[in-house]
Amino acid sequence: MRFILRNLGFYLIAFWTSITLNFLLPRFMPGDPVSRMFSQAQDQMRPEQMDELRRLFGLDDRPLWEQYLSYVGNVFTGEMGTSISRFPTPVSEVIGSQIGWTLLLGATALLIAVVVGNLLGVLAAWRRGGPLDSALPPLLVFVGSFPYFWLAMGALYLFGVTLGWFPLRHAFDVGLTPEFSWPFLSNVASHLVLPALTIVLVTIGGWMLGMRNTMIATVAEDYITMAEAKGLRPGRIMFRYAARNALLPSVTNFGMALGFVVGGALLTEVVFAYPGVGYQLLDAVQGLDYPLMQGIFLTITAAVLVANFVVDIIYVRLDPRVRAR
Amino acid sequence: MAPSLFGRRRRVAAAVPLAVALLLTGCSGAASSGAADASGDQLLTIPREDMGTFTRNFNPFSPNVAPMTQQAIYEPMFVYNPADGSTTPWLATEWTTAEDGLSVTFTLRSGVRWSDGEPFTAEDVAFTFPLQKELLGGYEYLESVEATDERTVTFTLNRPFSPALFELGKQVIIPRHVWEDVADPAKDTNPEPVGTGPYTEVANFQSQSFELMPNPNYWQPEKQRIAGIRMLAFAGNTGANLAATNGEVDWAPQFIPNIQESYVAHDPEHRHYWFPPTGAMINWHMNTTKAPFDDPAVRKALSQAIDRETIVEVGMNGYTEPADCTGLSGGYELWRDQSLVDSCDWTTFDAEAAGKALDEAGYPMGPDGTRTMPNGEPFAFDISVGSSSSDWLSVANIISQNLAEIGVTANVDSPDWPAVSADYENGTFDTGIVWSGNGPTPYEFYRDSMGTERVKPVGERALENYHRYGTEEADRLLAQFAATSDEAEQRAVVNDLQALFAEHAPVVPLFPGPEWGAYTDVRFTGWPTAENPYATLSARASTTVLVLTSLTPVTG
Repeated sequence: MRFILRNLGFYLIAFWTSITLNFLLPRFMPGDPVSRMFSQAQDQMRPEQMDELRRLFGLDDRPLWEQYLSYVGNVFTGEMGTSISRFPTPVSEVIGSQIGWTLLLGATALLIAVVVGNLLGVLAAWRRGGPLDSALPPLLVFVGSFPYFWLAMGALYLFGVTLGWFPLRHAFDVGLTPEFSWPFLSNVASHLVLPALTIVLVTIGGWMLGMRNTMIATVAEDYITMAEAKGLRPGRIMFRYAARNALLPSVTNFGMALGFVVGGALLTEVVFAYPGVGYQLLDAVQGLDYPLMQGIFLTITAAVLVANFVVDIIYVRLDPRVRAR
Repeated sequence: MAPSLFGRRRRVAAAVPLAVALLLTGCSGAASSGAADASGDQLLTIPREDMGTFTRNFNPFSPNVAPMTQQAIYEPMFVYNPADGSTTPWLATEWTTAEDGLSVTFTLRSGVRWSDGEPFTAEDVAFTFPLQKELLGGYEYLESVEATDERTVTFTLNRPFSPALFELGKQVIIPRHVWEDVADPAKDTNPEPVGTGPYTEVANFQSQSFELMPNPNYWQPEKQRIAGIRMLAFAGNTGANLAATNGEVDWAPQFIPNIQESYVAHDPEHRHYWFPPTGAMINWHMNTTKAPFDDPAVRKALSQAIDRETIVEVGMNGYTEPADCTGLSGGYELWRDQSLVDSCDWTTFDAEAAGKALDEAGYPMGPDGTRTMPNGEPFAFDISVGSSSSDWLSVANIISQNLAEIGVTANVDSPDWPAVSADYENGTFDTGIVWSGNGPTPYEFYRDSMGTERVKPVGERALENYHRYGTEEADRLLAQFAATSDEAEQRAVVNDLQALFAEHAPVVPLFPGPEWGAYTDVRFTGWPTAENPYATLSARASTTVLVLTSLTPVTG
């Protein structure tokens, strides 16, 4: 319990730091959202309109500390203001309408990468030097080191455009209305394949290598030798004795990755025009939409911290050694 | 506790093959709508490349309104077409400017109804303008708007201002009976719009696409030949271009690099593009508050040293044409003084003459091949362009190479756009590539490039005339132009303005911005073309409604 409380204190400080940075960083960026909008609209907007827009958006010219205080207050009440690039939609609504798709994409890709990656890692370490162990890690590291953007475009071109196996964009076919029916869900699934597959391809190597390396160290432990000496089935030794203990670092990584699910799919969403928050973040940064930027950062920060906190708690249960301090 | 977690993990592992199977079965149903649908009910599909997702906001006063609101749902009193200089009466049938230039009267079309069936009247027009002025500003010359009878609206101006006619005419009109009950018109999202336009009924609104279906009460039902419009959201040109290449959209109003090969070549019989140079003039702005840019001889010499043919061919993919010394874009073809164009030479590439001009102006070439300023400092400066504008960036690079040949050092500086425009606005930049004002008459262009009205001192925020140059002579001519609505008189004034521009070179014109537009006539015919320029191919212009009411679906 003391461990959890101590950790909670740490998380609160981390949270405060990140929301403060979140407040300051956009304000240090040059320009302001209205002149950005003006220069984007080029000749479509009259300069007289800019002051009106500033007033309309409620861009504040109060002293920084006053803005900061009301900002911190708003963070705790969940009031994130009104988006500028999507004015007059509230930030919470903009994020709320998109985050489901991001979670679906990110979680699917993460689960596949973690499960398959760890499994491959276990098998590779168990048959150390075997065909799986010698071929797969270099291959996956090779694929994983491609610039992601390039890989995604390549996959899109090959499987989408040339072969026509998968849809090219969006979360479901245009013209469909979301509903819980088999045709709609399978349509969503088919739209998920390419974006998820590309994320899995670049991340799976890390999971596999991590698991393989810890597993190799674990397999060298005395209790494994003893288990073998007792004549237990190899499968049982592999999973119950070795993999179970080698899993701890993966759990930590999983917690971190879970947090990044929200913001991590940015490039994927841009390439596949997937309607998630990642693209919105890019859009918000380009349009200097402070409220939306802050809302998304806040969501990501909260997700990372909460996921880590939960993993910390689970970790204590998994590994009693962390408690003994 | 650990075993239970491990047990759960095994269950997850067991679920993987299932998930994979699910994903694989999904593939079979992955055929996207790409086939030529010719039932006559096909929707006109248009991508929007700069909106990753749509929000249901059909408020025409909102700066982030959903696409097509100003084009298909609400309509203006008349439509001005920069491609051929024509004006088409729309919600108004006639308009007259008073002798003294202090009032404009519009006669409205009879028999027009809103999409909810209510009649369209002069009250709607009289209601729209004060609201627009209150919410978004502008119209500072407008004293009052009055509905003198059911079909007549009179605008009273506080000074004679002839460009007002076009601004008033292109304002989209909203229904009074709907908007007078809206509590906060600035923040309303107007999810169920009521308009006079051809396509007003919002259907199947998703963040990635939505549809606009025909207005049941449209005033020219014989022109509602298409079944509806479908907009698709894209997070950038790449995705939108892919959809165009794949034949999934009918209209591609965005920039497509190497369009002949990447778009037309896939189906040369049906795919076409047309980029009329009617957009705003793209200029090389020099900060005239700094030496040596305060010297018109230097501005002209630098202009003469750059190769506009290469700039247009290489930097702009050959999609536009070099500017001339009137500074007027292709949208002002009817105003251009050809004899002036033929007589001046500072927009024609001649490096030798440029070098000579700089020698004479007191910027000598040193023995190391670089020029110095009269005070001995090196002749070097920055060209600032936003890093995301790759086309303008290559334009700046070509300028820099051209200038190096005459011994002038121009460094291309490309931070992000907000940083660049902040420098433009407070006047600390050296030079930059900037668009210009673009209105139906050359008034806006000349006011912003050389009138004193928009010149702000360095340090004070300027939103136009970043180069900070103005002459009172221009003011005098501009006032003359604004005071008369006689076309012959206006033409004489514009000729003088062109001559003044050619003499002072307030900015260095590079090329007119092209208005992107490509289409396939597999599913719809009747598109505007260079031979039949009844509109531009832009999907965001006021002429867009002309395209929407001219297309015919292909059947059978």
